[in-house]
Amino acid sequence: MRIGSSITLRKKVTSIVAYAAIIVFLALLPTLGLPVYPMHTLIGVFIWIIVASSLRLLDLSGQGSIGHAAFMAIGAYTSGILAKFLGWSPWITMPIGVIATAAVAFLVAVPFTRVRGIYFTMVSLFFGIGVLAVNQVFSKFTGGYSGIGSIPLLFGYDKTPYYYFCLVLLVVCLGIIYRLEHSRIGLTWKAVAQSHSVASSIGINESWQRILCLGVSCCIAGIAGVAYAHYYSLLTQDTFSFNTSINVFVYMTVGGPRYFAGPILGTAALILIPEQLRSLREYVPFIFAGILLIVLFLMPQGLAGLLEQFKQKFARSSKTESVETDDGVSKRVP
Amino acid sequence: MFLDITDLTKNFGGLVAVNQFSMGVGEGQIVGLIGPNGAGKTTVFNLITGVIHPTAGKVEFDGKDVTGKSPHTIASFGIGRTFQLTPLFTEFSTLENVVASYYLHPRSSFWDTFFNSPTYRRNEAYALEQSLKILDLVGLSKVKDELARNLPHGYQKMLGIARALAVQPRLLMLDEPLGGMNTDEITFTMDVMAKVRSQGMTILVIEHNMQILDLCDHVVAINFGQKIGEGTVLEVRNNPDVIKAYLGEQNVA
Amino acid sequence: MDTIITCTVNGLVLSAIYILVALGFSLQLSIMGIFNFAHGAIYMIGAYITYGLSVGLGLNPWVSLLLSVILVGAFGLFVERFCFRPFQSKITRMIVMAIALILILQTAVEVTLGGVTRALPAFVPGILRVGFISVDAERVLTFCIGAVLLVAMTYLIQRTQIGQQMLAVAQDAEGAALQGIDTHRTAAIATVIACATAALSGSLMATIFSMNPFMGDNILLKAIQVTILSGIGSIGGILAGGLIMGLLNAFLPVLTEASIGELITILIVILILLIRPKGLFGYELF
Repeated sequence: MRIGSSITLRKKVTSIVAYAAIIVFLALLPTLGLPVYPMHTLIGVFIWIIVASSLRLLDLSGQGSIGHAAFMAIGAYTSGILAKFLGWSPWITMPIGVIATAAVAFLVAVPFTRVRGIYFTMVSLFFGIGVLAVNQVFSKFTGGYSGIGSIPLLFGYDKTPYYYFCLVLLVVCLGIIYRLEHSRIGLTWKAVAQSHSVASSIGINESWQRILCLGVSCCIAGIAGVAYAHYYSLLTQDTFSFNTSINVFVYMTVGGPRYFAGPILGTAALILIPEQLRSLREYVPFIFAGILLIVLFLMPQGLAGLLEQFKQKFARSSKTESVETDDGVSKRVP
Repeated sequence: MFLDITDLTKNFGGLVAVNQFSMGVGEGQIVGLIGPNGAGKTTVFNLITGVIHPTAGKVEFDGKDVTGKSPHTIASFGIGRTFQLTPLFTEFSTLENVVASYYLHPRSSFWDTFFNSPTYRRNEAYALEQSLKILDLVGLSKVKDELARNLPHGYQKMLGIARALAVQPRLLMLDEPLGGMNTDEITFTMDVMAKVRSQGMTILVIEHNMQILDLCDHVVAINFGQKIGEGTVLEVRNNPDVIKAYLGEQNVA
Repeated sequence: MDTIITCTVNGLVLSAIYILVALGFSLQLSIMGIFNFAHGAIYMIGAYITYGLSVGLGLNPWVSLLLSVILVGAFGLFVERFCFRPFQSKITRMIVMAIALILILQTAVEVTLGGVTRALPAFVPGILRVGFISVDAERVLTFCIGAVLLVAMTYLIQRTQIGQQMLAVAQDAEGAALQGIDTHRTAAIATVIACATAALSGSLMATIFSMNPFMGDNILLKAIQVTILSGIGSIGGILAGGLIMGLLNAFLPVLTEASIGELITILIVILILLIRPKGLFGYELF
């Protein structure tokens, strides 16, 4: 959305209405009779959308991380351990978990943001693995490979409260991300991503902005982490592994990192479609890979980009609009 | 002097890029920094604006010692600059480029920004209004919604100047603003510079193109990182060392 | 004393493998700018093809190895041309492409042979005794093959025209093209070398340790670690980096807990990325 463009207001209102409609629909699903297993799946989707969106937020400032699951882990394990071994209520340990994630995030952000681009991505990769190694080192507390089970649940055994809780969490987190992205903060981050030297020359402390972005992004991942811990109740070495980080990265990329709806569509597609086809059992990864290939070769801007193209086709506008294609050439669409 | 550079020196390993370079810029002046390719002009700029740190020497701006401070701090003191290459935010539109550059003043706090307070909205409206005015000044209003990287070269350079103006600087540093421009664009750019100066701006400009000298109150010539001459336009033009440095350059008037 | 010898031997063997795989990985990175996340999967598939041909079809083990190397090399050509070249400067897309590839390869193996950990019979069974040291003949073979290949690679890059062309493309692809160097052919050759050595290493590793569809994951990480440690542009660097990594990985688990050892290695890598991104011996990393 371009600042100052007259299409902006109309687009904004349409987006908000669309999102509101979807949220209302999701909120009504349980009352309309959503069976247990789909509800369980959707709860997972909600949680992973939060993480994928936080990853995209980080990407706005030009930093790509493939170790984000580690921050989920920090929040999840902190909250889980406190709740299980000290007996504190999850409602108290969850905020503590998020604070722990934030603390670690800001701590490592200072050295990590010294590097940019793929160097940063590599650092994030090894940070993710490092956290797993730390997990193993302290396996007395964290249960090492087999992890911790029977983490105190947030609600009872009925899934419905968790569904609403995660939905609310999702809306709040997405709201935060949306607000950040469309405010001057987001504008500043996008500027930093494009050229750190130009950004500096207009007074932006670009190192600090990247630290801030990383911190916020990891915080949100931590929120998803604590929600995960007190719903699934089991955390193992595989829960927040390198594979998990890569999965979230793939969700975001397939959905289209340029668009707010990208992580939402990507996560939903890459979780729900293989889930629907789970009868194929060991062949399911082929489906996943297939989706990746289709998007890679046919949808340069991801699923959200495809959606955007449809929207452009149906939008009525009196003046010409520019349509961006992936090779950067601006074409005029009447 | 508004901007005072004293004995600025920069060593890169064994290479002396800038050697005890001194110059001054008076308030309200347009000062030109000329020299052949590789003379060290952009290095001097980078030293002033904190992109690189001097090995020795001092930079004073409006009485304050700004030597070696970081680029964003220097910007906050009121120095705006353009770059020779990649002068823009390529993914933003022309308008967004300028609005994004309206970062320092007015500055909304984090909470104002996040909660979309009236203060924030007022500040943003002001930034938008001012940005449109700047685009008007530099003649880019018609292309305000065009993606910056799709602009023709001359427009991109103008956008660079617009961006630097958005910082609301008191000293405007232009790095080869006329580079790659045709005659019309050059005249237009020089007009803009004159207009901006008449509004009280101080300008320090690096240029190859000797036409810029017509605008300058004072010219400093540099070669191999050292000052080889300075004075009025006429004096520098007739300075034998300067002429020698430019032998072979087609732009000597 | 025994432990030291065992560790050293293991270290050298691991080093050889790491060097071979890291070499392939950094070749692709420097010459084609391809961050081949799927390199581990290719290493794995090499092992499985050797297994399939020798154990499954009963072919002579050496023939199976050779066939595997050839097939994987050819596969590498296909992958480079159609999977990675389209996404050349778009690293995020490349990573997703690699993930898709890994999934396809791993699932293919799981579906046909199952995810069970298997062992590939040694190419040279038995134990060698030198003085008071007794070592698996297979490990000695691995080390020797590794050393020979490394010497061959060094010779190739420093003495032959093809090698010089590869260096040129690695440093400046556009400039090299302007000089008349066929960058596509150079890329193809580099890919074949990379994938062939990966397949070879995978097969050898499968005889010494074991094989499963996920063996590539770990080796990929090691290859990246060696590449970061050494930097790009110097084969000697990869040699040194691989040796360091191999010995670290052999000695650390003995000196301290396995997880602490891993943590130490990771910390070293992160420190290098932050402080000296171009690696200990190389010119520039990515």
